[in-house]
Amino acid sequence: MVLVSAVRDYVNRMLQDISGMKVLILDSQTVSIVSVVYSQSELLQKEVFLVELVDSISKSKEPMSHLKAVYFLRPTSENIQYMRRQLARPRFGEYHFFSSNMLKDTQLHILADSDEHEVVQQVQEFYADFVANGPFHFSLNISGNHMYMLPAAIDPSGLQHFCDRIVDGIAALFLALKRRPIIRYQRTSDIAKRVAQETAKLMYQQESGLFDFRRTEISPLLLIIDRRDDPVTPLLNQWTYQAMVHELIGIQDNKVDLRTIGKISKDQQEVVLSSEQDTFFKSNMYENFGDIGMNIKRMVDEFQQVAKSNQQIQTIEDMAKFVDNYPEYRKMHGNVSKHVTLVTEMSKIVEERKLMLVSQTEQELACNGGQGAAFEAVTNLLNNESVSDIDRLRLVMLYALRYEKESPVQLMQLFNKLASRSPKYKPGLVQFLLKQAGVDKRTGDLYGNRDLLNIARNMARGLKGVENVYTQHQPLLYQTMESIIKGRLRDVDYPFIGNHFQQGRPQDVIIFIVGGTTYEESRSVALQNATNSGIRFILGGSALLNSKRFLKNLEEAQRIARTSTSVV
Amino acid sequence: MATRNRTILYRKYRDALKSVRVPSGSSPSSSGGPVIEMSSTSLLNPNRSYAPLSTEDPGSFSKGALTVGLPPAWVDVSEEIAANVQRVRTKMAELAKAHAKALMPSFGDGKEDQRRIEALTREITDLLKKSEKRLQRLSAGGPSEDSNIRKNVQRSLATDLQSLSTELRKKQSTYLKRLRQQKEGPDGIDLEMNLNGNHTRREDDDFDDMGFTDHQMAKIRKSEAFTAEREREIQQVVESVNELAQIMKDLSVLVIDQGTIVDRIDYNIQNVAASVEEGLKQLQKAERTQKQGGMVMCATVLVIMCLIMLVLLILKEIVF
Repeated sequence: MVLVSAVRDYVNRMLQDISGMKVLILDSQTVSIVSVVYSQSELLQKEVFLVELVDSISKSKEPMSHLKAVYFLRPTSENIQYMRRQLARPRFGEYHFFSSNMLKDTQLHILADSDEHEVVQQVQEFYADFVANGPFHFSLNISGNHMYMLPAAIDPSGLQHFCDRIVDGIAALFLALKRRPIIRYQRTSDIAKRVAQETAKLMYQQESGLFDFRRTEISPLLLIIDRRDDPVTPLLNQWTYQAMVHELIGIQDNKVDLRTIGKISKDQQEVVLSSEQDTFFKSNMYENFGDIGMNIKRMVDEFQQVAKSNQQIQTIEDMAKFVDNYPEYRKMHGNVSKHVTLVTEMSKIVEERKLMLVSQTEQELACNGGQGAAFEAVTNLLNNESVSDIDRLRLVMLYALRYEKESPVQLMQLFNKLASRSPKYKPGLVQFLLKQAGVDKRTGDLYGNRDLLNIARNMARGLKGVENVYTQHQPLLYQTMESIIKGRLRDVDYPFIGNHFQQGRPQDVIIFIVGGTTYEESRSVALQNATNSGIRFILGGSALLNSKRFLKNLEEAQRIARTSTSVV
Repeated sequence: MATRNRTILYRKYRDALKSVRVPSGSSPSSSGGPVIEMSSTSLLNPNRSYAPLSTEDPGSFSKGALTVGLPPAWVDVSEEIAANVQRVRTKMAELAKAHAKALMPSFGDGKEDQRRIEALTREITDLLKKSEKRLQRLSAGGPSEDSNIRKNVQRSLATDLQSLSTELRKKQSTYLKRLRQQKEGPDGIDLEMNLNGNHTRREDDDFDDMGFTDHQMAKIRKSEAFTAEREREIQQVVESVNELAQIMKDLSVLVIDQGTIVDRIDYNIQNVAASVEEGLKQLQKAERTQKQGGMVMCATVLVIMCLIMLVLLILKEIVF
């Protein structure tokens, strides 16, 4: 509950001291930040009767001086300009300005200059600058996420902007938790190093007063790693509930939009999947598809029982009981329909794209050995007509990442076959991926074939067999977390920033993946936290990836890299 | 949870910038407000006495923004409903106390406790019904920011009213249950036996004695009175269930289902934007059709015809 409750506390504090009718004004980023933790009905309880975006509220001109305006914005220059214009012609009685991150002096000056009517009552910094998707998982929803794959020379200002947003988000997280961490980063990644250095500069030099908290316990650890160290996890198809919904349909800020999928009834076109509000989802979000099916069936049976008993109203007491229980009945009905719709749609997609077949090969490529068998399996699937283009691309990518160095001839054959079978395939994408995330670029032991211990572990696992072929993959993050728990994270691979040093094991570890996280990894973190090993992990990323988004980032990066080299 | 208050620094900047702005002697139409007027008049005409602020354009927008204007009329309605809600809450507390007192074993008849409970319940139900009727008046047509605020105020008050009605019903049902338990405790068993006794004895009496003894008559009368009272209580429960069910039905349309998409802030913002655009389009379309409307044409034609007839009438009078 850590992250969610931190943001909720900030929002509560914003609203509680201001009495009377309020209007809450947000920008496109803070809308996501607030929407995942606060509901509309809770806002109404706090007497916030209007919520608007800062750009749309500039358009309207009618004065509403009986309302008090509460602004919660990111401190960007755009937002400051909007504020300038609105302060010049104030519409509301009072103005309370909350910034989601640190304001620069120049920005304060600009605001003070435009506040000629002196309507601003307070200016505060409330550091809720990240989207808390789950209790231990946050994302920064950065739109130009492909930047991390490009070298700095191509677009220095864009990259600076990207890094700044990450640094701001991480700083806000630590201010919300009131800790200052020891920072480690992945040595082989330039961008991870850059983010780590800039974060350290901010926390220990520029704003050291703000970050100077009482250091009674061991400092937490901030580990910054690069997505490209584990390119396999975002490419795989998922079979646990939350990850599967995101992979097949797409979750944005805990909302699922089913309108693009097919013909859905009107009240189920957009649904909310939040573990805070939905107990069924909370207990099933990490279960695999087969178990979910059974649990949903059980839920539907329970619901039908309740519905049947509601229909037999004979005595007055029955009637009274029905009216009493009606709100709960309605809620249960909505919940059951939501999950049934989701699972139905996902089953349809699985059927259409033959995902059971495809995913089996994917898991083999990710986990087990055998280059010859893998080559054959991938070739067969490429020849299979019902496999979609995106799945073919993923298979070839997974094969290439695994068997990059073995048998280049067969690899070439696969590239050619892919190009011939998929008309929309942008040529060279797989090679681009290998250049970004190939075996030479990776630090971690992705396939468990570098470290003797890992090889032994893999052999043992192979002998024991695996209980579910589709969920046998463990993201690289799992190994990283284990090393941290055992205190065996190598300094060579993950050096410290500056002269920091970790004494003993940290109790809080925040892992930030530049390039984005996946729900499979957040599941891994949640399960790890549930084992009560004494260390609490928090995972964050610049975006929330599924295979579509990861491929889009790759394509975008490739396109820019191509145009820049052609210009040069 | 760290925060940083920049208000003091901000105010310092603001005051510093204000003093920089003041001696600039800017144009009177600026939104600088009264401060500039005073200083500019005093700078320009040191001999002139203090000029009142009314020299400024009375229609200027900045003046209006400085004063807190009167809120629109519907705010009064919402405040009235909110006051009712508060009153209901205090009365519910009183009702709870009255319930507890009536359930306690006492020597007296308990009739006035009953009356008080009935009175309180009726008052509360009346307040709830009145508030609910007023609530319907809060909704307005036309998409605009004001109508969104009204809709949201309506929703919030509806949630309050609904939760109060459910609470009232729960209190009532627990009270009645406990009351029934109490009443049936001492009397129920005896009554059961008596009824059964009467039944068997009636069969016997069919053959022996066609009349009832006095003792049996008293017992029958007592049981009749008891059934009548039970019926009355049940009637009351039915009435209150009906009333509250009606209120709940009306309110449930307004109340947000928690945990659904409608309860999401970003969904409501999108919808507002979409509906405002839609509304604008509809308004434009309506304007267009109205302008082209046949009604306007008809009306104009009729007016012209009337004028022509009038002229003809006058001509007829003049000629004759």
